[in-house]
Amino acid sequence: MALERRKGPESKIPHQTLFAFTFYAGITICFVELLRTINALATAPDNTSNAQVWVIWIFGLMAALGISQVARTTRNFLPALLTFILALLFTEALLRVYKVPPGLIPTPSRVWTALLSTQQVLLRDAFTTFVLEALFGFIGGTLAGLLFALSIVRSRFLERGLLPYASVLSSVPIVALAPILVKMIGLEWPSKAVIVGITVFFPVVVNVVRGLQSVGSLQLDLMRSYGSSGGQVFSLLRVPTALPFLFNALKIAVPLALIGAIVGETFGAAGSGLGFRIGISVGRFEYDVAWAAIVIASVISLLFFGLVSLLERRFLNWHSSMREGA
Amino acid sequence: MTRALGTPTRIPRAPRPSSAGPILLIGLVFVLIYLASVPLLNMPQAQKLLSSGADLGCKSALECAFMLRNPTVPAPLQLLEGFKALSWPLFSPTGVPLNLLITAGETLAGIVLASVLGVLLAVGMVASRALERSILPLLVASQTVPIVALTPMLAVTLGQFRDLPGWVPKAIIAAYIAFFPICVGLLKGLRSPDPLSLDLMRTYHARNASIFFKLRFPASLPYLFTAYKVAVAAALIGAIVAEGATVSFQGIGKMLSENSRAADSVALWVIMLYSGLLGIGLVALVGVLERFITPWKREVN
Repeated sequence: MALERRKGPESKIPHQTLFAFTFYAGITICFVELLRTINALATAPDNTSNAQVWVIWIFGLMAALGISQVARTTRNFLPALLTFILALLFTEALLRVYKVPPGLIPTPSRVWTALLSTQQVLLRDAFTTFVLEALFGFIGGTLAGLLFALSIVRSRFLERGLLPYASVLSSVPIVALAPILVKMIGLEWPSKAVIVGITVFFPVVVNVVRGLQSVGSLQLDLMRSYGSSGGQVFSLLRVPTALPFLFNALKIAVPLALIGAIVGETFGAAGSGLGFRIGISVGRFEYDVAWAAIVIASVISLLFFGLVSLLERRFLNWHSSMREGA
Repeated sequence: MTRALGTPTRIPRAPRPSSAGPILLIGLVFVLIYLASVPLLNMPQAQKLLSSGADLGCKSALECAFMLRNPTVPAPLQLLEGFKALSWPLFSPTGVPLNLLITAGETLAGIVLASVLGVLLAVGMVASRALERSILPLLVASQTVPIVALTPMLAVTLGQFRDLPGWVPKAIIAAYIAFFPICVGLLKGLRSPDPLSLDLMRTYHARNASIFFKLRFPASLPYLFTAYKVAVAAALIGAIVAEGATVSFQGIGKMLSENSRAADSVALWVIMLYSGLLGIGLVALVGVLERFITPWKREVN
């Protein structure tokens, strides 16, 4: 297995461009067929035929096969993108052809229209949830976690006394903490920011401590033989070693921050916020709006994650994990 | 249990200084902070009630801070009474222990489901690069999605199937949250044996199955257990949130949302402490299993 892999599947295909072209063409045909079926179903929703069911399944499966062939030879994000588009088209077509009531599961296109029509409200919700709650909480939790980790590394006593608490408390479900914090601090956004801060705090502490301590003894000896001061050892050796760990923690913390904000809002919010919007839309049976809010939350989370990855690339471009093909 | 290739023989570790002293001391500091926060955080509320002329059966705000009906931070005696009221009789339907057990059951059912899904996907991705390239980026992207936001929708969708027993939707939601760490941890673990060991297996002319079971699988176990620690904690959160979002009559999540609406803060504190213990207990259980199944890892650490 390992040996075959090193050769790479690319070398097996002499007419690679022609090959790839046929597959791309096939996938495009499948997509177009699916789109045409969806269009037919949209114009005449009551006229579903067995033929359409067959068309959807066959072209869907063929597109999946085509994508798996493309995935063998491409290394970029294209296969994932194609899979995503296929999933959207397939869901839309299936939901329409089997006449699933839109009140139960709204089709992707319906969610899109809901997204456009409730834009204003959703953007305000997104501002509350992301900027006020998630971002402030994220920054606060990270800073507190860094301070905490630094003080733990500074003193053996704190390390032995505090670190066990930090690792034990990190497995406590924050959901149970949320109602108490909301009651204590109030319905406005600060209570949710605190919840987010607490969720972000623990991974940062645990990872940064591990990172600061993962300095090799050889490197320490080298620094010592250069006659470097404690401050130099810290800034030139410990901090660079800990940075990958910190970024790992931040990447873990991004979705946690959004989750913390949204869960916090379900226990009481002051009239705006994505979690609040989802809860209230489900209560009103407006599932398309609820899904639209979920889409917005996901997009924000993805962008936030992308931002953290970008910072990682900027500050860690020297690290071996950033190398091509690593 | 097969030992992983190249595991060192048992080397006695240098004795480390005991951590019991610092842990107890810091714990004491935490208790003191708690005791100080009771009057500090409750006084404003007590003062307001007193000045509004309510008869609380106490004279000063400081005294009242320890006996409010609905305190911000309950006093130790109130907490004890809350524990007694919610834990006794042991299996009463409104008590915490029974509901805790139900939530734990849903969490474990979710973990089982998540394991099946996660293992299937991970093994599939190790076997086929094409599958990995078309699915893994989507899986990673799906994890940046705040999954909890989906629970009300999933709860509604799954709630349509009325024949399902009540615990199934919660287990599915818990599994949906927990399968990713398992899948990615296992994938990383199965890829972790170094090329030298793999080449060695090939020079032995080992079949793929025996490479998998004798090298890849044992090598993946440490990663798998780390993943399970994350997954168990995540699944518990999923189960609690799902109980809050679905129509449920039992479970910690239902008790939380009920008492949150009734604003019974002592009960909320008691439930919080209990569910914290459950989370710690579940992760500790994984830790015990880890020590039992991968004894060689202790030397590596």
